Amino acid sequence: MAQEFHLKLITQRAGGGDPIVRERTVEKPELSIGRASANDIVLADLSVDPTHARMRFSGPGRISIESVSGLPFDLGGRQVQGAELNVASRPVVRFGAYTLAFEPADDDSAGVTVVRDDDEHHASPSVFSLQAKVFGRRNMAWVLGSGIFLLCLAFPMIFVLFMSNPKIHPDEQWSTGPLSKAHAFMAKDCKSCHTNAFVAVRDEACLTCHAAAPDKAPMALATAKRLGSPFEPRLVAEHAPHADLVKSTPLPPGLGAKVNVLVQRAFNHPTDRCASCHIEHTPAKGGPPSAPLSDKPKLVVVQDCESCHSELKMRLPKTGLIDTPDWSKHPGFRPLVMTEPGSAPKFQRVALDTAPQERNGLNFPHRLHLDPLGGVARQAIGLGKAAGYGAALECASCHRRDATGKTFLPIEMERDCGDCHSLAFARVGGELRNLPHGDVNKVIATLAGRSVAAPAGTDRARPGTIRPSAFAASGAGAYRATFSRGGACYDCHTVTWAGDTVQLAPVSLASRYLPRGAFDHGVPEHGGPGESKKGGFECADCHRAQTSDKSGDVLIPDLAKCGACHGKTTAQIAAADDADCTTCHSFHKPGQATPKPGHPPLETLRWTEALARRAAGA
Amino acid sequence: MTQVGGHHTERVRQRTHEGFLRHKGFRWAQIASLICLVAVAIYFFVAARLAEPPNGGSWLGYILGVVSAGLIVWLACLGVRKRVITAGHYSLKAWVSAHVYLGLSLIVLATLHTGFQFGWNVHTLAYSLMMLVIASGALGIWAYATLPQRLHGNRGETTRKQMLEALESLDKQLHDLALPLDRAGAQVVRLSLEETELGGSFWRRLTGAYGNCATSRALRQVKALPAPADPRQADALEKIETVLQQKADVLGLARRQMQITALLEGWLFVHIPATFALLAALTAHIVSVFTYW
Repeated sequence: MAQEFHLKLITQRAGGGDPIVRERTVEKPELSIGRASANDIVLADLSVDPTHARMRFSGPGRISIESVSGLPFDLGGRQVQGAELNVASRPVVRFGAYTLAFEPADDDSAGVTVVRDDDEHHASPSVFSLQAKVFGRRNMAWVLGSGIFLLCLAFPMIFVLFMSNPKIHPDEQWSTGPLSKAHAFMAKDCKSCHTNAFVAVRDEACLTCHAAAPDKAPMALATAKRLGSPFEPRLVAEHAPHADLVKSTPLPPGLGAKVNVLVQRAFNHPTDRCASCHIEHTPAKGGPPSAPLSDKPKLVVVQDCESCHSELKMRLPKTGLIDTPDWSKHPGFRPLVMTEPGSAPKFQRVALDTAPQERNGLNFPHRLHLDPLGGVARQAIGLGKAAGYGAALECASCHRRDATGKTFLPIEMERDCGDCHSLAFARVGGELRNLPHGDVNKVIATLAGRSVAAPAGTDRARPGTIRPSAFAASGAGAYRATFSRGGACYDCHTVTWAGDTVQLAPVSLASRYLPRGAFDHGVPEHGGPGESKKGGFECADCHRAQTSDKSGDVLIPDLAKCGACHGKTTAQIAAADDADCTTCHSFHKPGQATPKPGHPPLETLRWTEALARRAAGA
Repeated sequence: MTQVGGHHTERVRQRTHEGFLRHKGFRWAQIASLICLVAVAIYFFVAARLAEPPNGGSWLGYILGVVSAGLIVWLACLGVRKRVITAGHYSLKAWVSAHVYLGLSLIVLATLHTGFQFGWNVHTLAYSLMMLVIASGALGIWAYATLPQRLHGNRGETTRKQMLEALESLDKQLHDLALPLDRAGAQVVRLSLEETELGGSFWRRLTGAYGNCATSRALRQVKALPAPADPRQADALEKIETVLQQKADVLGLARRQMQITALLEGWLFVHIPATFALLAALTAHIVSVFTYW
């Protein structure tokens, strides 16, 4: 019996169900395969050529398939042009969507099962909906959400809680804004201020660099240096002992502010901290957010002066301070007056209106020196313009401004009195020899054993002359003569004798009478250099020196003088100015005026070489 | 009959006019506007009187922050809420209406909370993500307000299922028509059958750019094919050209439908992921502020 092909064509029903099976036997040695209906095996697939291949028996149990179209077919996953098949091994070839599976049949015949792959997938209407496989809504939601959670919270938090000196600072992203220039060097190291998580910045953190107490200041400077500060930190003193401040500070005025403070306290965010007033991470109020931050942390006034300095005794019974609820209630001046001079002088604050007398040890009548018609004036005229006089004395003839211009240099006898009051005691080789001033023992040593006859002349000590009576006291020793009436020391110093030993009362001149307030003599309206507004003062308007006969007179003006301008309007007086507490008092240094914003500039706080050397222990 | 019809029309009109935007006569729009007005008024009254520059850490900042954070969490809960079906006062429509208007009010509340201080930090990240969520949501409002009509106008009386069935049927016709063709002819039809992408990528759907569509190419190529000598083939080719044109038309219709649908749904691909990112950033914002306060 000839070899024949048993063809079995299986077609899937479109609507599902049992497939349609058609079988036929072809008794031909060679079959054609193709899309055209003339073929023996018709494969209705457009990827199959109209006449694609031929298939024939090439031996017992062997079938050969060859492409006649030049198009390949698939054998075991490979694209081939021809193939020799061993029917016993039940080979499978594919043409397009059709599979031809061979199997042995009786009499060396072969069975061929032709199946069309049912790859028809019916698009569902859901194809109209927007889909994204990788960037789907759910995927992206989880990836973005957990990514941000990890990067922005979990990761930095691990560093905050468990790393003491990390090399990177992922918590930097938590910063709510840049730091002031003074603190910018710590910007990466959040924990240098935020020492404990969930605890508001405490004063201890600030004081590690800013403590002013003498025992802590060197350590504070060293710490700032170690942390890398390019600036020398300003050491800051407390306004008053902290416990007193806490006691004496009332709740701020206004219901909202009160609630605010109480809520903050309840949440462990007290309002009496350094950081309550000195705010970081925030731009200046009203300024553009992009503007560079100021040199120093933004200062926020939480409490004004009046709120604490009103009814202060009720909250702090031990206080000796007088309430100053406003300018009009400002107490009169109580200058700090020396009641006992000497190496350990004693001071007392005495009300100015009780005309206090100071025991400064100096005999000096201002009236005599300022009398325009007196002998002093004549001598000054006699000294001439070339010597810096040429007219009656004025304040500046003796009181010289310091470099700042705000105050005056301490009086120095040789410089400030010496033009008229000669200390000369001898002429050696045409040159005058002066007594040393300031140390009585040196004077005594200089004069030891001398007994000089006085030359004839008037008894006025002038530079270049020796006082005629200086050493002429009845032939007594120069030592006794110098300290006796007519002697060089006698006029100004209070001299007492203990037998042959001279004793001079020590002289200490006050440079400041009001230790709790500042006064700037450099302001033109205060008699300083420059053009003063109308109504400004000259020295004599405040200091009634022309009528003072004793150096113990306290020659400062009373508060009413300040009130002539301060607290007035420009309509009342051209030189009017504010009457703000801060004009004369600052919070951390009540004896000084409040520094102007930006003062001193940060540059002046830069570590100097001297400081660096000091730190290095040189 | 007329009366019955009239009733019906009335009901339809009510339904169409009472969308989530107009729910209860813009009740939530009014509430949200009121909240914004009050917040702005308080801000400009208080900010100048605050000791410090306005920021999230002032008492007003904390109040605005708590309200905003609470709103964000509540707004995000819409995703949970919409999976539960109820009616009446707390109907989903009411929720969506409140979601839309209270969400928009966050633009004001959260901006005031910042005190207009922004920087490269986790706090501004949370703010930016919130604004992204709101912006995408606003796009969604626009989409829901305008696109359903366009969607309807585009498809006419044809349903989506019918469009797909038409394509399937046209493909079958093309396949059968092409069977007698020679290789070149079959290739052209295969191009349309096998390479035609109905929807395509996310961006293709959104932009509606199908310039390189396989069916259009097939159509061009069919026209360029030399006329076959065999009249049967020539006839088939002629029919194929007609069917390809029909397919191209149906494809165009379906793709416009898809583009409108993509616009209608696309904003959610930003809105939902950005919301999750926002919730994470918000948590980081709040926790970090209290870690370092």
